[in-house]
Amino acid sequence: MCTIRCFEESVKKDFLNGEIPGFVHLYIGEEAIGTGICGALRDTDFIESTHRGHGHCIAKGADVNKMMAEIFGRKTGLCKGKGGSMHIADFSVGMLGANGVVGGGYNLATGAALASKMILKNDNVSVVFFGDGASNRGTFHEAANVAAAWKLPVIFVNEMNCWASTTPYRTTTAVENISDRAHGYNMPGVIVDGQNVFEVYAAAAEAVERARRGEGPTFIEAKTYRIEGHFVGDPELYRKKEETMEIFHRTDPLKLFKDQCPDGIVFTQNELDDILTAARKKVADAKAYAVSCEFPEESEFFKDVYVD
Amino acid sequence: MATELLMPKLGLTMTEGTIDEWKKKVGEPVAKGEIIYSVATDKLTNDVEADVDGILLAIAVPEGETVPCKTVVGWVGAAGEAVPSAAAAPAETKAATESSPAAAVQTDAAAGKTARPVGQYVPATPYAKKLAREKGIDLAAIPATGYRGVVVSRDVEGFVPAAATAAGAAAVKASPLAEKVAADLGIDLADVKAAHGRVLAEDLLRYIAATREKADGETADAREEVKAMSGMRKAIAKNMQNSHMTSPTVTFNLGIDMTEMKHYREQLKAKEIKVSYTDLLVKFVAKALTEFPLLNCSVQNNKIIYKHYVNMGVAVALDNGLVVPNIVDADKKSLTEISAEVKEMARLAREGKLPPEKLSGGTFTITNLGMYGIESFSPIINQPEVAILGVNTMEDKVVVRNGEICIRPIMNLSLTADHRVVDGSVAAQFLQRVKSLMENPALILA
Amino acid sequence: MRKITFSEATREAMAEEMEKYPEVFVMGEDIARQGGIFGQFKGLPAEFPGRVIDTPISETFIVGGGVGAALGGARPVVDMHFADFIGVCMDEVFNQMAKARYMFGGQAKIPLVLRAPDGLAGGGAAQHSQSVESWFIHIPGIKVVAPSNPYDAKMVLKAAIECDDPVLYFENKVLYKETGEVPEKEDEVPYVIGKARVEREGKDVTIVSYSIGMKNARAAADELAKDGISAEVVDLITLSPWDKETVINSVKKTHRLCLVSECVKQGGALAEVAATVAEEALEYLDAPILRYGAPFTPIPFAPTLEKLYRVYPEDLVKGIKGVL
Repeated sequence: MCTIRCFEESVKKDFLNGEIPGFVHLYIGEEAIGTGICGALRDTDFIESTHRGHGHCIAKGADVNKMMAEIFGRKTGLCKGKGGSMHIADFSVGMLGANGVVGGGYNLATGAALASKMILKNDNVSVVFFGDGASNRGTFHEAANVAAAWKLPVIFVNEMNCWASTTPYRTTTAVENISDRAHGYNMPGVIVDGQNVFEVYAAAAEAVERARRGEGPTFIEAKTYRIEGHFVGDPELYRKKEETMEIFHRTDPLKLFKDQCPDGIVFTQNELDDILTAARKKVADAKAYAVSCEFPEESEFFKDVYVD
Repeated sequence: MATELLMPKLGLTMTEGTIDEWKKKVGEPVAKGEIIYSVATDKLTNDVEADVDGILLAIAVPEGETVPCKTVVGWVGAAGEAVPSAAAAPAETKAATESSPAAAVQTDAAAGKTARPVGQYVPATPYAKKLAREKGIDLAAIPATGYRGVVVSRDVEGFVPAAATAAGAAAVKASPLAEKVAADLGIDLADVKAAHGRVLAEDLLRYIAATREKADGETADAREEVKAMSGMRKAIAKNMQNSHMTSPTVTFNLGIDMTEMKHYREQLKAKEIKVSYTDLLVKFVAKALTEFPLLNCSVQNNKIIYKHYVNMGVAVALDNGLVVPNIVDADKKSLTEISAEVKEMARLAREGKLPPEKLSGGTFTITNLGMYGIESFSPIINQPEVAILGVNTMEDKVVVRNGEICIRPIMNLSLTADHRVVDGSVAAQFLQRVKSLMENPALILA
Repeated sequence: MRKITFSEATREAMAEEMEKYPEVFVMGEDIARQGGIFGQFKGLPAEFPGRVIDTPISETFIVGGGVGAALGGARPVVDMHFADFIGVCMDEVFNQMAKARYMFGGQAKIPLVLRAPDGLAGGGAAQHSQSVESWFIHIPGIKVVAPSNPYDAKMVLKAAIECDDPVLYFENKVLYKETGEVPEKEDEVPYVIGKARVEREGKDVTIVSYSIGMKNARAAADELAKDGISAEVVDLITLSPWDKETVINSVKKTHRLCLVSECVKQGGALAEVAATVAEEALEYLDAPILRYGAPFTPIPFAPTLEKLYRVYPEDLVKGIKGVL
């Protein structure tokens, strides 16, 4: 969680300084979800991420240096500088990619789960992260139905952050809880506090177990709030900054984690401070690494369109 | 505001014209109604009158240059008045402009391309162009047989340049461009000194510049004289050459016994109807043409266009050349109408006042050299027609009629026909028909 | 040589590949219990239990799930029922399937075949008769193939399944029933995706086509031969990446090019061939490039109107004679 927070803060600063091309969407305030979910997964399990995917990628264990290099468009990036923030992926740790298309990941995760269970006969689990906005895509329906019908090892993780870009979810969505929809597909729908990493982890661990046992998908709705704008540079004309900050102070997952760790039992306060310091250094090193790397050569241009 | 002088559009079919002569110099005053320049088309030369008073401010198109209709050729306005700057340049650099086709050739030569004078784009397939380029043949010289009248590869492959057949011409080595330009300008390449082995376009340009300095009337040989062709002469030259290149011709001669015709003419004269033999020929040949559509057609893009009307061209000799006005719907007109029209045409032609539309649209031509005692000749077809009838002198000849020697007035007709469409037998039958009509004039009433 | 139908040829290809690679499976609507609406999957479910899967009517899942399965290590074949329905899952085709490899810097491999039965089938009308291949040749990252006979149907499908890139396999509905010579397995010559075939040599005009359009190409060539006109017939087979070299070499020989396909002429798959020949071999053309394809209308239902939608060999013969 600390690495994610430091990473996002660093990316935000560098983007505003014009060092990063394209768009970036930050995960600040939602760190507990990716961390809690991925904490319950193995490297061989798959995740399908979103445009707001840095946190998922770090939590799944991607190399932070290569991640940063990718976001800076360098040839040493995870995707050789061809993907960027919105298409970051690290197949070596089962991170099958962020998706620039909102709602693009459901079918991919479900297909990967199908391959695992029905064709390759292993017990890998697939997770798809998506926001409340993405939950209104038709692809959700098609994937959820198949996953439940064939009891595929998929976990649908809804990061309910209340905002679909600039649109509050209540204005476009009839259900109070997105997870209410799970019942329509005859799969368990669980609501957790997305700011509480322990609670997220517990739900994830149970869903993963269930999936591996061949009992099918689980829908986890993690209640959270998008602290940053939709993208870095979003003027956020649709909401009040004070209100957002008030929520953040109350629900910051890092702070809650500290509060939930009685001094000395799991970590001492000093150890917690050291973790944050180490994370800062790790991210600063990653940034230094990224900018030290070169942009991809022209010869790279036509590579990877096809395998052969 | 200066008034623009334009290349006029004289008649429906005119698309471009050549400035034959500027009658005024830049800076000279011009009065309304005064002739300011003359324009040559491939049919005739027309004078253009000023329609305002003023000064000839600038000339944009020099003498001898061909431009599309409606092109600005110069300006008339008040003294000191400015003319559009883009147009002023050509007038100032008249010398350069005069050689512009050659200059264009030079530019293209640098790019390794075959060039032709501006405005004479030859539709050809890319492959035909490539072949022509490789063989050094100018596309403009190649008759097209392809779709939509396009020059295709087989036209290039089967093409034998005229120069190659002319004795001695092959002896001079020259670039295709130089050959083309020399042919266009009528320069014998043997006269041009090559700087590097073979004659190149730039050698030719040098030669042209050198000879131009000598100006009209001066040649290297004091016994010779150089004179620029008039617009009409150029037009005739171009048309004759074009016809010669286009149509493979055969000429057929047939003697007509004019006894009955003479008698018929006397009868008409008695009724105060005075007609010439030309008038009679127009009438009788028009009748025959309605029965032989192949002699009254034209060829275009591998297609034969049959004309269900007869517009009979009658060649009129002028002091400086020749024009062929035509009698529209000659097959439907009476002899008196024809006669009146032929006379009027001849008068207008001699006065240079023939309306341009009278010079196009002909379907067949009659040309008469009988008054000069000519006994036979092979006229050249007036394109896009496919046949022309040459009329020769009428003279008394000894002939055999019913086993007896007798003297009859005989007139030879010389028919030149385009063998692309008119085969010998058809031409012969047509002449036979003309003969039978003229030897039995009453048949015309049938 | 033995003769089998186009449909049987595709079935053989599937069976041989499923036998060879345990990670190959196929999913789509109505393929397991029914054997495919054109019978192209008959017998496979019994032979490979659990690997021929009937899906719900969920095209975004069929294709998206196929992409996901490929990402997850399988070698899926997905069936689109009718090519017309690819519209339902365009995102899965052109943003997911086509892009995954490039945007993830070569980490992903998508050995997926999307089978799409296309073309006029008599009364299918606007939403069940289309030939939509041209949409996909505009998309880098996928390969597009469209065989014209049973032998190619088999060899191209095998090559597509073995290919590590996503391949759109367009199979014409009318061709399914056509029979043709297909050698025994040991005599097969593998197809290399991207290669065209000069099916018939000629010197006066090159006719390029693919899929059902080849019927027009062959018939026109036969007809022209009666008048002593020799047409070279090129079967493109792969539409993307297409075999530029073979086509241009043929044009250099014949100097004329005639293109025919069943898809809409405007922006049709062969428009790219025309444009490339104009770009790279214009100087070898001795006639305008002729193109034959469907008119710019949706496909009508009434037989009288559907008839007008089709291209006929006479059209080609007339056009070619007009530019000779």
